[in-house]
This record gives sequence, structure tokens and C-alpha cells, in this order.
Amino acid sequence: MPAPPSAEPAASPFIQIRGLHKSFDSQKVLQGIDLDISRGETLVLVGPSGEGKSVLLKHIIGLLHPDAGSIQFDGTSLCGLSERQLAPLRRRIGYLFQNAALFDSLTVAQNVAFPLIEAGIKNPAEIKSRVQEALEVVELDAHTEKMPINLSGGMRKRVGIARAIVGRPEIILYDEPTAGLDPIVTDVIDHLIKRLQKRYHVTSVVITHDIASVFKIADRIVMLKNGIVYFNGNPDQLRHSPDTFIQDFIAGRSGMTS
Amino acid sequence: MIAPSASTLSPQLPTPQSVSSLRRMDDSSRGPISTLGRAVLNFINYFGQLGILLGEGFESLVKTKPRLHLMMEQIVRIGFGSQVVVIVTGAFTGAVFTAQSYFKFRDFGIESTVGSIVSVSLFRELGPVLTGLMVAGRVGAAMAAEIGTMKVSEQIDALRAMGVHPVDYLAMPRFFAMTISMPLLIAEAVAFGLGASWFVAVLGFGIPSAWFWMHTIDHTNLEDLSYAMIKGLVFGMLIVVISCHQGLSTTNGAVGVGQSTTRAVVFSSLALLVTNFFLTLLLNYIFPMGTIT
Repeated sequence: MPAPPSAEPAASPFIQIRGLHKSFDSQKVLQGIDLDISRGETLVLVGPSGEGKSVLLKHIIGLLHPDAGSIQFDGTSLCGLSERQLAPLRRRIGYLFQNAALFDSLTVAQNVAFPLIEAGIKNPAEIKSRVQEALEVVELDAHTEKMPINLSGGMRKRVGIARAIVGRPEIILYDEPTAGLDPIVTDVIDHLIKRLQKRYHVTSVVITHDIASVFKIADRIVMLKNGIVYFNGNPDQLRHSPDTFIQDFIAGRSGMTS
Repeated sequence: MIAPSASTLSPQLPTPQSVSSLRRMDDSSRGPISTLGRAVLNFINYFGQLGILLGEGFESLVKTKPRLHLMMEQIVRIGFGSQVVVIVTGAFTGAVFTAQSYFKFRDFGIESTVGSIVSVSLFRELGPVLTGLMVAGRVGAAMAAEIGTMKVSEQIDALRAMGVHPVDYLAMPRFFAMTISMPLLIAEAVAFGLGASWFVAVLGFGIPSAWFWMHTIDHTNLEDLSYAMIKGLVFGMLIVVISCHQGLSTTNGAVGVGQSTTRAVVFSSLALLVTNFFLTLLLNYIFPMGTIT
């Protein structure tokens, strides 16, 4: 299905992706992604599992390098930059991993403080107050001294969110922030994403399979299918799309009968 | 913008069937020369990867501040944590070598000189090599397993995502800690080996203590100590570079962590033994043995 007219604003994009290709061995995952992300918007990436959404997110932060194509972050090309050259750009980005990727050897508070210490903040009082603030946002301020191994999956994910937002990044990349969370905490996270957007003008890119969350938080929705952008538009355009695949995806219809 | 590679643009990629038939042809046509060539290429590739890691380590050394608290943490783990292993290794190596030497030296009536051969052997070979092998088993395995687990659980990607180079945070503190700890651990192993040798020779076999020490001190000099320290430094570097490389290149989940851990111990031990031979030749050229000072 051809992508409907883009809902992107005309201003120069914060992140610009052009012709992005990525394969792993013989498996072609991304086959020419073109996408612009504007400053301050919340873009939700949806699509069937295994279609390269996480791979795309990892390209935006430079954890993966494209086979072909280009990624511009605030006017700077990420392609060809070394790990050390990427470091200052990455400090402007918050990243929530699918499994939270907390450091096993550090407590909850130490995990959340990590980006601040690495950013060179030396004042312990400032670090403590910002860690406390970030943990309060995800309602985990009573668990600062716990080790990650002693947390539930949902709590780990919330600590991951606290770690992603504590450095007050310009853009936050969320890889399934609400997967495995109960509906109430899911709602808290959804509101958090919107609050960060409104209060701090944070740009968010969110991967989620939770359709209710999609319509709650998205300014724009991009669907990936077969390694390309299958749909790019606002929530209303998605909701009223005549495409049967999109309608089945939204409704969660597999076509199977029991 | 990265130029698209030819393979990416190629519209006619091989089908699974053609790949499978190519693989069959490849397997059937692989003779001993092809196998040998592949092994040599893998060997060169492996050394290339170690070289890249060393290069990144050097860059880290020049461009970043050392992380002292992580270094101290690793010194405790490597140095303090290896105490039992090193003491037992050094002591029982000294003891058994003393007993074996005594049984033979007794035939020639020179059993009182047993301390000299034990001392020189401990300083020049047994101390560094056996301590190195024990540390490779204990510390090398732990390094590869810890870093490997971080790799497969995306903790290393999390470091990178926060703008932290994994070599700066994981490899360099271990490198510094190992280069400080290893010579000291070897010195400790040698000291306990000599102590055990004294126990066996003097208290066990009745060699006069004064004779034991006189021969030991007469035949042991500063060059022997230098041997031990230089070997300790080199072996420590080998263990940490090989183990960190294995950890950082881990893939394939828990199975991969197990494989990396095994490889770290095996490769470190083999590299240590091979390097020991060439290092001994080099050091003997610098500090020739056979002169009594």
C-alpha cells in the first residue's frame, strides 16, 4: 500500500533517515527506510514482530551501522563516526531497552545515577535529587537500594525509564516501554511520555504493540512492514485507513477461527 | 552517506537452494590445504581483533582519565581474591619440587644445595607460569563470563547508548588491575614456595637451615626477580586482553557465554605457555643465567 501523504512538518527534521538498509547474514531486515522525525513530536513505531523496529531504533542511536543509507541527527551524519565521536551525540539521547538492560552489579539508584556521573556531574546532592526525582516519576523512589535481580520485570522496565529520562535528553527512544506492565502502570508511562513532551519539549520515538497506548500518545504513527515504511500518518489517518492489513493489525485480527 | 555495497544492491541474490548447493560443493572440495588456509586466516583474523582491542585500549589510555574506583575494585577481585589459589600453588609447588630435587641430589651428596635450584626455578619458571595459569583459570574465566553476560543481556549496548566506551569502562580497569596485581601475586607465590621449600628441606629432610639459605641466596640474584616480574607483567596483559576480547565478542546467549569462558581460559593458558618460551629466550639474552654474583 502506498504511504498516505506525510503528516511531517516542513521544518528541518531533528532526525533524518534516508534509504536505510540493514541485513543480518542473508536476512534483509530494513530495505530502504526513509523517515523524518521532528523536534518535540512523539512518533510511535508499530508493525508486526521481527520487522526491524528495534533495529531502526538502534540505528538512530548508532548502536548499529547501516549497510547503506544515511542517518542525520540534528544535522550531523552518524554514518562513519567512531564510538568516541558518537559519545557526545548519544548523551543527548535517552534509550530504554526492551529488557531494560540494567547493570546487574549496581543498585537501582546507582543505575539511575550512572548517566549523570558519566556526563560529568560531580555534586552528590544534585545527583541524589535528580535520581530521586526520576524514580518518583516511575513510582519507584522507595526501592533505591534494591539490586536489579530483586525487581520484577515491570519494575526493571520502570527503572530503565528512570535511567533514560534522568539525563534530561532531547530525545528518548523507548523500545516497548509498557510490555509486561499492568494497565495502571501502562497508563502512568503513557502519561509520562506525554508529560515529558509537553513540559520539556522532549522528542519521543516509541515502539509498542499496545494499540490503546498508540492512540493515547502518538502525534504520528509509522508502521514498518517488509523492511519499509508501510504507513506514515497521524492517529486519525491510521484509524480510518482503508487498508485491510492495517485494520486487522489495529483490531488484533489474525483471521484464524477456533 | 555510506556508499551502498555491491551485495546490498545486487538484485539477483542466491536462492536458499543455490546457497545450499554451493555449501555442499565447498565442503566436498575442502581439502587439507583449504582447511589449513582457513585456519591460518582465522588465526590472523583473531590476532587482528586482539590488535584492535589493544589499539582501543591505547586510545583509552591517552584520551580518557583512569577510573580509579573501578581499578581498585578489580585489584581486590584479582589480587585479594586470588590469595588462596596463589598461596596453595606456590607453597605446594615449592614443596614438591624440593622433595623431588632432594631425592636426586642425595645420590650425588649435594642435597644441601636444593634451595638454590628451587629458588631459581620458582623465580624464573614455576612461579610465573603456574601463577599465570591459575590466574588465567580463575580471573580470566570470571572476566569473560561477566563481560560476556553483559554483552548478551545488552548491558554493553546500554553503556554505549549512554556514551560510555566499553573498553574504557570494562577493559581498562581490568588491564591496570591485572598489570599491578600479577607481578605481586607471582612474588607472593615464589615467597610461599621458598617458605614451603624450607619446611620440607630443613624440617622434613634435616638439611641445616643455614646451608639451605646460604645456597639459596648465593644462587638467586636480582635478575631472577626481574625475570619473575617481567613475566608476570606480560602474562597479566595476555590474560586480560584475551579474556576481555572473548567477553566483548560473546554472542548466542548462555551457550555463548559458556563458550567464551572456556575459550578465555584455553587461549590465555596456551598463549601464556607459548609466550613463556620466547620470553625466556629473550630474557636469558638480557639476563644470562650461569653467572654467580
